[in-house]
Amino acid sequence: MDPLLLGALVGISTIIVLFSGISVAVGLLVVSATFLFFNSGTRDLELMPELLFGKLDNFSLLAIPMFILMGASIASTRAGADLYEALERWLTRIPGGLVVSNLGACALFSAMSGSSPATCAAIGKMGIPEMRKRGFPDTIASGSIAAGGTLGILIPPSVTMIVYGIATETSIGRLFLAGVVPGILLVSLFMAWSIYSTSRSNSGALQARHYSWSERFSILPRVLPFILIIIGVLFALYGGGGVATPSEVAAVGALLCVVVAMIVYRLWDVTALWAVLRDTTRESVMILFIIAASGVFSYMLSSLYITQSIAQSIGALDVNPWVLMLFVNIFLLVAGFFLPPVAVILMAAPILLPIVIGAGFDPYWFAVILTINMEIGLISPPVGLNLYVINGIAPDIPLKTILKGSLPFVGCMVLAIVILSIFPQLVTGLPDMVMGPST
Amino acid sequence: MTGFIRFVGLLSTIAGVIAALMILVSVAVTCQMIFVRYVLNWSTVWQTEFITYLMVASTLIGLPYVQKLRGHVNVDLAPLMLRGKARLALFYTVVGLAILVIGGMFFYGIEMWWVATSKGWTSDTVWGVRLAIPYFAVPVGLGLYLLQLVADFLAVTSRNEQPFGLAADQGFTNTERKGH
Repeated sequence: MDPLLLGALVGISTIIVLFSGISVAVGLLVVSATFLFFNSGTRDLELMPELLFGKLDNFSLLAIPMFILMGASIASTRAGADLYEALERWLTRIPGGLVVSNLGACALFSAMSGSSPATCAAIGKMGIPEMRKRGFPDTIASGSIAAGGTLGILIPPSVTMIVYGIATETSIGRLFLAGVVPGILLVSLFMAWSIYSTSRSNSGALQARHYSWSERFSILPRVLPFILIIIGVLFALYGGGGVATPSEVAAVGALLCVVVAMIVYRLWDVTALWAVLRDTTRESVMILFIIAASGVFSYMLSSLYITQSIAQSIGALDVNPWVLMLFVNIFLLVAGFFLPPVAVILMAAPILLPIVIGAGFDPYWFAVILTINMEIGLISPPVGLNLYVINGIAPDIPLKTILKGSLPFVGCMVLAIVILSIFPQLVTGLPDMVMGPST
Repeated sequence: MTGFIRFVGLLSTIAGVIAALMILVSVAVTCQMIFVRYVLNWSTVWQTEFITYLMVASTLIGLPYVQKLRGHVNVDLAPLMLRGKARLALFYTVVGLAILVIGGMFFYGIEMWWVATSKGWTSDTVWGVRLAIPYFAVPVGLGLYLLQLVADFLAVTSRNEQPFGLAADQGFTNTERKGH
C-alpha cells in the first residue's frame, strides 16, 4: 500500500482509538501493535518491550519527574494562596489591581508548579471569590484564571517544553529561555484585555485597596524562598556556564522545594509528604509512559515508511511557508482541542519539525507556537481541562459563562501567535543572547 | 472475585510506593553525583546509568498504581457520548484490547529479560551492569499492570464499578475532569 494512504489509515485509526476512552499511551501501543502485526507478523511485536525500554533509557528524562516533584511540593502547600496575597498587596496600586495580581500570581504559580489545573485550583480558589466580591464580571473572574493557568506550559521551567526537547532532540535550556518573552507577552495581553473589559462594565472593580508596608513585608518570607529556588534553578542552568544539565538542576531544585515546603509550611507529617510523592509518581509515570509508547509509535511510522513519505510529499509541495504554517497551526489547534499537550507534542512534533525546519522556520520559535496552540486547547471545548477545573471550584458560575469569559483570552493567544510570527526575534532573541545563536 | 480485585489493588499500591521511593532515591543519587562531580571535582562512574535505570524501573513498576488511581490520561469523548449497554460494550472492547496488547508485551518482556539473563549481557559502559537487572522491571511492571487491567475489567463485570468510572447518567453536560 502507498505509504501516504497507509499514513492516512494510521491517522484515522489513532483518532478513533484515542477517542474510545483508552489511555493515550495504551492507545498508541494498540495502534502500533496492529499495524506492525499486519506489516511483518510477530517479528516486530517482539521488539515492542525493547523499544519501550529503549525510549525510557535516557538520562534527560529525569528532568520530568524532578520538575514535577518540585511543582507538586509547591502545589500541595498554601504557597498559591500566599503568592496571590503577596501580589495583591504589592501590586494594588497598579491600574487593574486585583485582576493584574491574579494574572501575575497565575503566571508565577504556573511556572513554579508546571501544572495548569493546579494553578487554576490554587489561585482560583482565592482569586475568583475575591474578584466577584469586588464587582468583577463573572466572565473576567473565571476566564482570567482559566487562561492564566495555561501559562505554566510556556513559562519556564515547563514540563511540556522538556517533552518537546526530548521528542525533537532540541536544547531544553534554550527552549526554557524561548518561552520567557512570549510568556510575558501573553500575560500582558491577558492583563490588557481584563482591564479594558472590566473598565467597560463600569463596575468600579478596578479601584485599589490599601495595604500598610508591614502587611506587605509580612507575607514575603512565605513566598520568597520558592521564587528564589526557581530563579536559582534557572541561574544554575545558564549562569553556571551551562555545565549542569536540566535533569541535575531539577533534582537539586526538587530537593530544595521539598525542604522549603517542610520548613515554611510545616509539611512534616507522612500523609502530606506521601501526597506530594503520590502526585509526583502519578504525573511522571503517566507522562513517561506516553513518551515510551510514542517511541513504539514512531518506530511503527518509520518502519512503514510513513514519516519519510509525509516529509517528502510536503517538502515537494510548492507552497508559501506561511500558508504551510497556517495549516500546521490549524492542525495543532484541532489536535489540542481533543488531546493533552504531551500527547500532541510526542505524536506530531517529530513529524512536523523536519517539515517546519525545511520551510525555513526556527525549531525554538515553532516550540513556542506549538505550545500556545496547546494552551488554547486547555481552555477550549470539548476537553478544555481548565474550564472544568474552574467549574469545580466555582460551581455557581455556569460552564457557559466560563467558556464565554475564556474566548477573548483565546483571541489574545491567537494575537500573540500573529505578533510572534511577525517578530520571531521575540522568541529567539533571549536564547541567542544568553546561549549564542543556535546551530 | 472481590478478594482478587482487592489483592491486585494492594499489589498495585505496593508497586506505587516502590516507584515513588525510586524517584526519591534518584533525587538523592543525583544530588550526590552533583556533589562528587562539581564540588569534589571527581569523575562519576555509576550514577548516571543507575539513575536512568531507576527512572525506567519507576515508570514501569508505577504503571499498575497509576492505573488504579485512574491517572493514565485519556480522551473520554466516546464514553461520554454513549450510555447504558453501548458504553459497557465500549468499555469491554477498550479494556480487552489493552489486556491483549499489554499481555503480549508482558510475554515478550519475559523473553527479553530471559535472553539477557541467559546470555549474561552487560551494558557497554565502564560500570558494565548486568542488563538482566534493569530489564527485570519490564516483565514485573507489565505483569502487574496486566493484573490491574484484569481487575478493572472484573470490577465492572461484577458491578463493583461503573465503566470508565463514569456515573450512569454522566454525559457532556454534567461531567468533572481530572488530569494534567
